[in-house]
Amino acid sequence: MVRDDQWVLLAYRLPRIPSTPRSAIWRRLRRLGVAQLADGLVALPADARTREALEWVAEEVVDAHGEAMVWLGRPADMAGSAALAHRMTAAIAAEYEAVAADAATAQNSDGTTRRRVTARLRRQLQRIEGRDFFSPPERDAARVAVEDLAANVVAGVSS
Amino acid sequence: MKWATRVGVHVDRAACAWLIRRFVDPDAGFVFVRDPAEVPADATPFDMRGVPLSHHHGRCSFETALQHFELTSDPALEEIAHIIHEADLGDERFNAPVAAGLDVIIRGLTLTSSGDDATLVVTDQLFDGLYEHIRQSLLSGRPPA
Repeated sequence: MVRDDQWVLLAYRLPRIPSTPRSAIWRRLRRLGVAQLADGLVALPADARTREALEWVAEEVVDAHGEAMVWLGRPADMAGSAALAHRMTAAIAAEYEAVAADAATAQNSDGTTRRRVTARLRRQLQRIEGRDFFSPPERDAARVAVEDLAANVVAGVSS
Repeated sequence: MKWATRVGVHVDRAACAWLIRRFVDPDAGFVFVRDPAEVPADATPFDMRGVPLSHHHGRCSFETALQHFELTSDPALEEIAHIIHEADLGDERFNAPVAAGLDVIIRGLTLTSSGDDATLVVTDQLFDGLYEHIRQSLLSGRPPA
């Protein structure tokens, strides 16, 4: 997904009060999977989709009487860019690992719980994949763990 | 009338174009621009930063357009608005499982389409069908067979 080393950045400033738009915007940014570079400066690997997503957040900031500007850029040093990608990958991998662990734990519970947990973890996986730009191996492990749990749910129903 | 939006239409712009053509301006012509500065003087822009018919206060452009054109009394359009919101923003504000499929279908369509006008020809039909399906579901209380 990350083709060249281009990043899209959102620099924004919001009034401290009221705090509701501040938290709403932060929740949106978290859902997009941004890396926070500094207070009021976040980044995503650039593509048409991430660029548009940050432009809409910028619009929300302006609607909330703040200031926002979207930038496209490349880190001046390769090491800095790699470190940023590494940090984002590690964070997303940890989320996948948590899903895999939950799926493994649920294998030992009763049928109703397994079904409920399967549905929850599938939704959770979808959310995580929506903000995953680096597809670490933990993604496939988590998918397998959840589908193993789902297979167990189906087996439990038919037996 | 002339309407303008950004090139490379996706779900929100396609839905707005359908809404405009179907409910607002049957003779609508669309131009696709790379930058807001390229919007022709006689065109109404939509789904672009800094214009009224766009994302505002957590709503996607289609939701803004429904309000703007006073079309909120049609429950089938409200339902489509929820789907577009989730396909575009995915913030789980609405329960719209159709959104994920619609997002993938239109994204795929833009990969094979020869251009934005060609994309809209297909998405107009998609939205006609979606609208009719929802309308009949609402009338009978269950999805049409």
